[in-house]
Amino acid sequence: MEALANNLQVLFQGLALGSIYALVALGFVLIIRATNVVNFAQGDFAMLGAYAMVLFLVGLPGNTDLGIPGFETGVPYWLAIILSVVVMTLIGLAFNYGVYYPLRNRSFLPVLISTLGASIFLQNTILAIFNPQPRPLEKLLSSDGVTIGGVFLDSQYLVILVFTVCAVAFQYFFFEHTLLGKKLQATSQDKDMARLLGIPVALMIAITFIYSSVLGGMAGILIAPILFVSIGMGSIIALKAFAATIIGGFGDVAGAIVGGIIIGVIESFAAYYISVPYKDAYAFLALFLVLLFRPQGIFGEKVSEKA
Amino acid sequence: MNDAAVKNAAPARAQNNVAGLLVLALAAIALPLIPFVLPVSDYVLNIIMNSITYAMAVLGMVVVLGYTGQINLAQAAFFGFGAYAVALGTLTYGMHFWVSFALGLVVAAVAGLVLGLTTLRLGGHYLAMITISFQQIFDLIIVNWIDLTHGPDGIAGIEPPSLFGFHLTDKRAYLVFCAVVLYLLIWFVWWLPSTRLGRAMRAVRDNELAAETIGVHTLRTKVIAFTMSAVLGGIGGAFYAAGFSYISPDNFNFARSVEFLTMVLLGGAQSPFGAALGTVLLILLPEWLRFLKNIYLAIYGISVILIMVFMPEGIWGLLRNAWNKVRKPRPLAVESVPALALDIKLEHSTPMLKLENLQKHFGGLKAVDGIDLEVAPGTVHALIGPNGSGKTTSLNVVNGIYKPTAGKIALDGIDVTNLKPHDRAGLGMGRTFQNIRLFQSMTALENVMVGAQRENNPIESGREALTQRAMAALQFVGIADRAHIVVRSLPYGTQRLVEIARALAGYPKLLLLDEPGAGLNQSEKQELVGLLKRLRGHGLTIFLIDHDMGVVEKVSDKITVLNFGKKIAEGTPQDVLRHPDVIAAYLGEAPASGTA
Amino acid sequence: MALLELKNVSSFYGSIQALHGVSLKVEQGEVVTLLGANGAGKSTTLRTISGLLKPGSGEIWFEGKPIHTAGPEQIVRLGISHVPEGRRIFPGLTVRENIMLGATSRGSLPKAQMAREVEEMFAIFPDIKRFENALGWQLSGGQQQMLAVARGLMARPKLLLLDEPSLGLAPVIVQQLFATIRRIHERGATILLVEQNANMALSVASRGYVLETGNLTVEGTNSELLGNEEVRAAYLGGHAA
Repeated sequence: MEALANNLQVLFQGLALGSIYALVALGFVLIIRATNVVNFAQGDFAMLGAYAMVLFLVGLPGNTDLGIPGFETGVPYWLAIILSVVVMTLIGLAFNYGVYYPLRNRSFLPVLISTLGASIFLQNTILAIFNPQPRPLEKLLSSDGVTIGGVFLDSQYLVILVFTVCAVAFQYFFFEHTLLGKKLQATSQDKDMARLLGIPVALMIAITFIYSSVLGGMAGILIAPILFVSIGMGSIIALKAFAATIIGGFGDVAGAIVGGIIIGVIESFAAYYISVPYKDAYAFLALFLVLLFRPQGIFGEKVSEKA
Repeated sequence: MNDAAVKNAAPARAQNNVAGLLVLALAAIALPLIPFVLPVSDYVLNIIMNSITYAMAVLGMVVVLGYTGQINLAQAAFFGFGAYAVALGTLTYGMHFWVSFALGLVVAAVAGLVLGLTTLRLGGHYLAMITISFQQIFDLIIVNWIDLTHGPDGIAGIEPPSLFGFHLTDKRAYLVFCAVVLYLLIWFVWWLPSTRLGRAMRAVRDNELAAETIGVHTLRTKVIAFTMSAVLGGIGGAFYAAGFSYISPDNFNFARSVEFLTMVLLGGAQSPFGAALGTVLLILLPEWLRFLKNIYLAIYGISVILIMVFMPEGIWGLLRNAWNKVRKPRPLAVESVPALALDIKLEHSTPMLKLENLQKHFGGLKAVDGIDLEVAPGTVHALIGPNGSGKTTSLNVVNGIYKPTAGKIALDGIDVTNLKPHDRAGLGMGRTFQNIRLFQSMTALENVMVGAQRENNPIESGREALTQRAMAALQFVGIADRAHIVVRSLPYGTQRLVEIARALAGYPKLLLLDEPGAGLNQSEKQELVGLLKRLRGHGLTIFLIDHDMGVVEKVSDKITVLNFGKKIAEGTPQDVLRHPDVIAAYLGEAPASGTA
Repeated sequence: MALLELKNVSSFYGSIQALHGVSLKVEQGEVVTLLGANGAGKSTTLRTISGLLKPGSGEIWFEGKPIHTAGPEQIVRLGISHVPEGRRIFPGLTVRENIMLGATSRGSLPKAQMAREVEEMFAIFPDIKRFENALGWQLSGGQQQMLAVARGLMARPKLLLLDEPSLGLAPVIVQQLFATIRRIHERGATILLVEQNANMALSVASRGYVLETGNLTVEGTNSELLGNEEVRAAYLGGHAA
């Protein structure tokens, strides 16, 4: 009985963790579908969201070398979240015009490398503004969690799961039942045809980047109280989100969400039963194997029709 | 054989750069000897050591990314294999330095080979992910397998090697040794593009599909590229370990791979000199900009973006393009190029190409729906039909780019249905493409040489024979004087001819031409007709698609007409082009009477 | 004044010239067809008109205003709707959604009006009504073509550009399609129709032009062109002299 409770605990954790990967993967896939860009800085959106929370909840440590003054803030939690979302919106815009737009007609390699450059830039700018010290962040709810039937449900994990369900529901509603959502889908499916109908494609793409940035930022805001806010937190999340999109079927929205959950659960169980330090390796091993044996993923089309 | 022609065909740059090379050589010899003459601090020696060993790894990136166009984000892992092999081998297992060194290179090579094999299924983003995953797993192992690697504590006390009994403990002497190795590697990487393998790599980078079709074993080329990159990385890592005597996992992680990538992009991925330049700049810059501390790294990130937007070929690329603008290419004197050997002996009457019930379905769409066709040897056979009738799909299936859903393809009696395109090229199947697929960064001569490199080409082996064959092919189509011009700068009509020459250099029995007249003006089309007739005179069999019936009529012995994936007529041009079914297929059925 | 006029238009793909000084006119209320073999430049002409391709030289005038420098988003708002070759319906959206998106250039429509207009469209294209909630990719070629035309009409265009609607369709479907095109014309649409199927095109068009490798070689009324040797030669060669 205790074994069952433990397994449920691990599963619960895996679902929560997987939700975070799913959120980041979702933003990732939307950008791919709209622009064919694989955004290696996607995970850093999560890092930025978390640091935005630090900025609004705690303040800046200041950097004397760069002349950045330190100061303290102490904004209420809910306001900090709203402000952080605003920040992520601006970042999404900046990314659209600074990284995507100048390279929109080039082949995939320069673009891929540029997103890597963006990732380095973002990480090191934050490093300069804050310092490398990992920081704790308080949870959203004051309660620690509830225990049901021997299984402890951490409050932050609960918040994550609730948010993710809402986000997926919103995503579905927005894309399937609003005209703007349809226009975004049309842009992803056939950009030139969308232009011929008068759909403002450049605006659609900007919206996609903003939406993905906010999704990523929220993932960071939600996981920060559990993971500790650090410069590198985005990189590992990004790689797992990428693994999630491939496992689910590259370019498939539902696949990205399902893939994220799967990776979270694998990681959670691997950490519990096999070893903690190597838990990240299992996500990559899963990715490696999927890429070799079923590159189209669970839901994806055949990767290549050619002989 | 007249050598004048062959000499003229050698890269012209060598003659121009002799003076430059001499200066470079003197500088290269002088630089590492400076520490023996002037007092140089340990700090500076370390920077030089860093530059030299990193440059070795970055040379690997030149090979795999610059030459072959494959993304590799695991170079730091290969660097690490070399370093840890030397450290563990000498300190933990008490082996001789050079034995550990060799083992490290073997491990790196195997890892490179495995990663290279993954390109069979995947390219682009997937490859990037595979290499990143590999790098991440390597990171995790060297940090966490503490028993083996000492984890984050690292390994200290690595000793420099001895060379022929002479122990290189003097840092300056070790530096000279490393510099010599680096120079040898630079020379190797500089020489590589002009070899058979080098051309194959560049072909894969510029247009993998075309390379595969004209006979390059693209998978093998990519695997070799990865393996070479891994070995170069391993060499750098091994010397790094011995030079700094202490290594820790921080030096071999994903961030370091990204750094290697940035170095090669900044300096110029197409050149070993660019790689060296990029490495030195990115090692020196943080030292000069140390006062900017963390902002420096942020600038680093922005720079990568700016480099990609404004100078994707790196600093070296900028310099070289400027130099090329100044120096105009001279047309060659080509009196002494021998005639192109093309004669195919037509002994038997087996059809050169035979399609049996060929089918190609895409999901529910039957693009090719049961075609039986025979092309008689030494004839020109055209495949025509309205848009969407399945002509191009048929050609692609014959060529091996698509796998047929059903049916058989025989080339001169040999069943090729399951062969890869490069194997079909190796049996004498040549091809040109509708949207010209040349290797844009290579000269006309180099493009054609790749065509001549196909397996089983009945010419003599060796560079001279290859060059001659290529020049002869260019001469045959009338453009030998433009052999050394990079094809990107050639006019469209000339590019078409280069593509044909490239196919001819492979001594084809069967030549597949996909809309050879597309984009040509009337006089160019007349010349094309003349060329095709000459080729037929040599015994070549030609199978072509085109929409210009003027051309098709003049040049074809037989025409097959397709509609909706099926054959609807076949015969001589006179029979076919006036056939009522064919006219109806093109002009359409008359409307049914009684419609509103 | 003609509704649409091309004056000496030349278009290029990179350095390749696809159109050589093409001049043509479409008057209000006409169906004009542009014929020619594959690769003759017919689709290029439409793409140049709708703004997907900018002409290298020459002018395009629509309703007395020059449009050759405008982009596709502007041109559709001016009243030219381009139904491109290959149908290009949005595969992941439903039939109804595809049709609704056709009205994008007219701005935001009240829900009731949109619903009404979609029903009107289904009245013209009854074959796709029963698929109204099916996804684009699930339709057959002929149904997709109908949908593409319906979507193009939702922009309430002054000029409809139809690019090779018969491509890849079985003869029987082509008959139905052209009957529909005739119906649309009778309701007052002006159409520039690009077609490889000359006979079918000339059965709905009153006038036609023939393109051969980027040059306009023949023009005339449909009776002048039907059965004309020159037209046949444009496709199958064998020009006299």
